[in-house]
Amino acid sequence: MTSTSLPVRATRPVAVTVTAAEEKPTRSRRQVLLVVAGLLAVIAVPALTFPAFWLFLAAQVAAYAIATLGLNVLYGRTGQLSLAQATFMGAGAYTGYVLGSRGHAPLVQLLAVCAVSLVAGAVVAVPTLRLSGLRLALVTLAVGELFAWVLVHTTDLTGGTQGANVEPLVVGPLDASIPLFAYLLGLLPALVATALVLHLDRTQLGRRMLLVRDSELAARATGVPIIQTKIVAFLLASVFAGVAGWLYGGINGFVSPPDFNLFASVYLLVAVVIGGARSVLGAWVGAAYIVVVPQVFTALGIPNLYALVGGALLALVALLAPDGLVGLARSAAARVRRTA
Amino acid sequence: MSAAPGISIRDLTVAYGAFRAIEELTVDIPAGRIVGVVGPNGAGKTTLLNAITGFTHVSGGSIHLDEVAVQDWSVRRRVGAGVVRGFQTVRLMERESVMTNVLVGLERTRQPSVLAQLLGLPGQPRSRRRDLDAANAVIERLGLTGVVHQRVDALPFASRRLVEVARVLVSRPSVVLLDEPAAGLDQAGRHELAAVLTQVHAEDGCTMLVVEHDVDLVQRLCQHALALDSGHLISEGPPADVFATPEVQVAYFGRSLDAPA
Amino acid sequence: MDGLTQVLAGGITQGCLYALMLLGVLLVFQVSKVMSFAYGQVGMVAAFTAWAVNAAGVPVVLALVLGALVAVLLNAAIDVVAIRHIPSDRVGLDLVVTLGLFLLIAAVMQQLIDSNSHSFPALGADTQATVLGARISVNDAVVVGLAVVVVTGAWLVLSRTSLGTNLRACAEDADIAASTGINVRALRTGTWAVAGLLASVVAVAVASRVAVDAFYMTSVLVKVFIAGMIGGLDRFWPPLLAAVGLGVYESLAVATFGADAGVPAVFLLIIAVLAVVPKRFVLDTSEARA
Repeated sequence: MTSTSLPVRATRPVAVTVTAAEEKPTRSRRQVLLVVAGLLAVIAVPALTFPAFWLFLAAQVAAYAIATLGLNVLYGRTGQLSLAQATFMGAGAYTGYVLGSRGHAPLVQLLAVCAVSLVAGAVVAVPTLRLSGLRLALVTLAVGELFAWVLVHTTDLTGGTQGANVEPLVVGPLDASIPLFAYLLGLLPALVATALVLHLDRTQLGRRMLLVRDSELAARATGVPIIQTKIVAFLLASVFAGVAGWLYGGINGFVSPPDFNLFASVYLLVAVVIGGARSVLGAWVGAAYIVVVPQVFTALGIPNLYALVGGALLALVALLAPDGLVGLARSAAARVRRTA
Repeated sequence: MSAAPGISIRDLTVAYGAFRAIEELTVDIPAGRIVGVVGPNGAGKTTLLNAITGFTHVSGGSIHLDEVAVQDWSVRRRVGAGVVRGFQTVRLMERESVMTNVLVGLERTRQPSVLAQLLGLPGQPRSRRRDLDAANAVIERLGLTGVVHQRVDALPFASRRLVEVARVLVSRPSVVLLDEPAAGLDQAGRHELAAVLTQVHAEDGCTMLVVEHDVDLVQRLCQHALALDSGHLISEGPPADVFATPEVQVAYFGRSLDAPA
Repeated sequence: MDGLTQVLAGGITQGCLYALMLLGVLLVFQVSKVMSFAYGQVGMVAAFTAWAVNAAGVPVVLALVLGALVAVLLNAAIDVVAIRHIPSDRVGLDLVVTLGLFLLIAAVMQQLIDSNSHSFPALGADTQATVLGARISVNDAVVVGLAVVVVTGAWLVLSRTSLGTNLRACAEDADIAASTGINVRALRTGTWAVAGLLASVVAVAVASRVAVDAFYMTSVLVKVFIAGMIGGLDRFWPPLLAAVGLGVYESLAVATFGADAGVPAVFLLIIAVLAVVPKRFVLDTSEARA
């Protein structure tokens, strides 16, 4: 079935030439231009054509994309199944709310959100460093439940189970109560996050994360600092999620504990798996799924379908299409190219 | 340890409870040579590799790289000192490309700060170029240039084995330990592998320890051989001499080859 | 201290429920090397089915049997349809797939019934007597008695019968077991079926004491997993005793700090134990698969 002989090679070692391989296959100029054009279109079209409600949804998609990108790094790339991603979002959202309601500027809020997220990420990372699989997931779940408990029992500060109204985020001239500005406010950090994760793909840190996911033995054998890598992955995920939560609060105008509970974390996982846990595009697809699909099902009168479909898709996609929708699309495109 | 060190093993014992995988083994692995480790299954060959690289605890005795005692060193420290191993079962990042898998082998040569990597600070492009050159060189040597961007799980078994060997060799370690690198390869594959390893050894001057079952390959590749059986050293010397030793033949074939069947 | 015996009695009863559920988890884990996050939902389905059928006029006992049957079939189906198709090299996939099933099953149930809390028939939980200073209900006594009987019975089967030997062989090494003629597949699915039965018993017992919604078994399952990890998922008595201990711990925490202390007490314990206890004590043999 598989060949067991070595591939043919030159009998003399060939000097390394200018055409030696880069880390990724080089894309043609045309490909790059297409991608850039597509990107600009995707960004500009909503800004120019969407009605207010859709812009508002698009803004939320952008916010959630930051969270799903974080989970992509932590789970898709480093292999740590965390059920606390929504918890990190909540930490960011409530930090933003508490500071915003006391009149602090957005920059102060952002700094605080990052600080709190870093602490939260470290708090979750430390107990999980030597864990994997279910034990890891359970510790993250436990942290999530503890956070939910704290929210409910600090009603004076957080509004408890009733939730809290969050002041719309205002950064300079951009006021999130205007849909177009909400969209821009969500989009810009999301683009930064996207660029960061794309860059990660070409760094040594990015490779370390992959090896930690795929083979701890090989990671040890190559000298990869496993613990440091896991901590960094958790911190990236928590900061991304914290910022996402903060933006979500400022755009949505309201936060409440159910937005950040275990199910929210599971839905984030669903989104990431459906989109494709290893791809940046997959994270965006997942974010769109989280924001748009519940709206669709609510409009159809069967809101329960979101959980139902989500659960079914998570099981099916994980089993049958491990690279998610994006992976399926890519292999379909590759097949088309081969037969063309 | 820049020049290839010799490995001195004195009274090494590796025990798991009552079971002694290696029993008071004393042997010298000469610096800069290719040494084969042979023996039947369960002889302790992989355990020896694990002990040298730090993947298993040592119950007694010592392991020295030149004059330095390393038996208490962590895996990480030994890897940093240039002791790099391959595994019996290929352990790769299946969904990543050959290039990515090989690049990760350079981990021990550079430890850039996390922040520097994240931000892509200056200095990164130059070291990236160096890394890519090193990776390309070893990929070239192992004949994998044609598949450099392919996902490893799409490759035939022989190529996947070679990718792991490439990962071991890319950082030019001073001590290379390979565990049955030819397992699953056909005759032509084994010849090629021996040729490649000989060439690499000639160019890099490393100390190479190769655990192997294939008698022919060991004789072709190795300058020196150790024969283990049940955790003991039963013979050492040039491969031809080792395989001619009656004890080794009994261990391998159940009887001495000279004796009537 | 009268209060203490009450607290202990309550804790032991709760712990026995955890132990029964954990028995199902252990059976499935040791034979299939899988932890099903959907296990709690399977129990929930049994309870809700029994309740719905009972509300439609079916007598209680028959309703309970029907509910248990549904759980048995459902859990076995999960093994046959989903778990069997997980390639052995994909570590951690069982968790993701069963997370999906967890969501799916709860959503289906919510769709069929609704998402509100419901009160189930008390099944003897309101018939109480005072024993040694503690108020114990018929329900409590049945639970504890059942736990003792079932766990002892399981122990006897596993250690004294050829079925038990075969199961342990499958747990040890499925390939070798298959080569000696053991029908590994049937045994595996069988353990899932038995686990389904256990889950249904526990789910019904819990539902007979508190008002429940479609997700009520989640916290039970999480605590059961924790107890399993504390005692060791590849053993028998230590994790089951840990389960009873967890019930007592929870009861003591609530008695000392108030009803709200239950959640933080248990989850802080989880974090502390899993983070601090050395790895060889909290063995996760699914890692050995990698």
